[in-house]
Amino acid sequence: MDGKTAPTAQLQKGTAPAGRPAVVCRGVFMKIRNKEILRDVSFRVDQGQIVGLLGPNGAGKSTLLRLVAGLTPPTAGVVELFGEPAGVPALRYLSFLPDRGKLPGWVTVGEWFRLARDIYPDWDPDHAEELAEFLKVRRTARMSTLSRGEEARVQLLTCLARRAPLVVLDEPFTGVDMISREQIASSVIADFAGGSRTFIIATHDIREMENLFNQVILIGEGRILALEDVEALRARGRSVESRYREVFS
Amino acid sequence: MDADVALEILKFPIDPSRPLYEQFVERIRAAIARGDLEPGARLPSVRELAAAIRVNPTTIQRMYQELERERLIVSYRGQGTFVTRDAKAIEASRRALAREAVARLRETAESLGLTVQQLIDLARDEEED
Repeated sequence: MDGKTAPTAQLQKGTAPAGRPAVVCRGVFMKIRNKEILRDVSFRVDQGQIVGLLGPNGAGKSTLLRLVAGLTPPTAGVVELFGEPAGVPALRYLSFLPDRGKLPGWVTVGEWFRLARDIYPDWDPDHAEELAEFLKVRRTARMSTLSRGEEARVQLLTCLARRAPLVVLDEPFTGVDMISREQIASSVIADFAGGSRTFIIATHDIREMENLFNQVILIGEGRILALEDVEALRARGRSVESRYREVFS
Repeated sequence: MDADVALEILKFPIDPSRPLYEQFVERIRAAIARGDLEPGARLPSVRELAAAIRVNPTTIQRMYQELERERLIVSYRGQGTFVTRDAKAIEASRRALAREAVARLRETAESLGLTVQQLIDLARDEEED
């Protein structure tokens, strides 16, 4: 490892059942305090894709990802990961970076790595080391003293150092400086290409991210407004950004 | 060293409303025609290149497939991907690029009601004024 090339994840063989879509949502509704947050959401994400979940604030992106992560059941409809219902047993397939998630502030980064090893059965300590070098993470720094960019890098590292076949990132770039963004994007790609991982990334940072996606899901006011294959979109002379503007303006 | 050359060639402002692989193919094709990428030069792996320029790996895969189809690059299992040493293939590609450029020029000429030769003569005339 020269620390310059983004490191690759080594997935355990057989972690993801072959031939099954990574995520399926069918007719998903979600009501929170009588407010309808998601309405009849249906889509499928095949394995080996990098999918962008795009939409303005309040569109329902985070709620949808929480359902995928199995943190809460939908009011109606079906959410499946690799053919199994989302929920605690399906957590073994999933590495989730929640929006505005917090890591424990009182430990150092190095101590966190040791804790993570005990928390996550699929933690890969060697990959964590490679990522720490590439992402230039200071192991002696106390978590509470990290800048937003450093914290985002540690959080991403925590997600990628696991061997889970599905990685779900909710706004990994918010408030993150340009260099950290570039490193995060490079790590995602290196990890993706290395194994047969599937990524779902919610962001409103389209320009920075659109070259990463195979597919985009456009969500607004709790509904799926468009599903696009990104290169097919470009073959029609359209950018992700122009499609986004068309859908949301 | 060679890999760095390829990287530099692929760092350019991308047009987000055209298929990315096409834009990359055009860049590499031109670099081979110019000789910036020399016959036998080693190209980076899909993963390396995708991560370095931050695009989806399938984009790079398609770029390599297309260049391989045009016989401008060759892959050897376990060894990597290289610019072809087949001078004929490179010459054919340069000829195709020249034809395209002339076709574009002809379109411009025709839109002005001129032949290519008249267009060139006219441009020369103005220079001499």
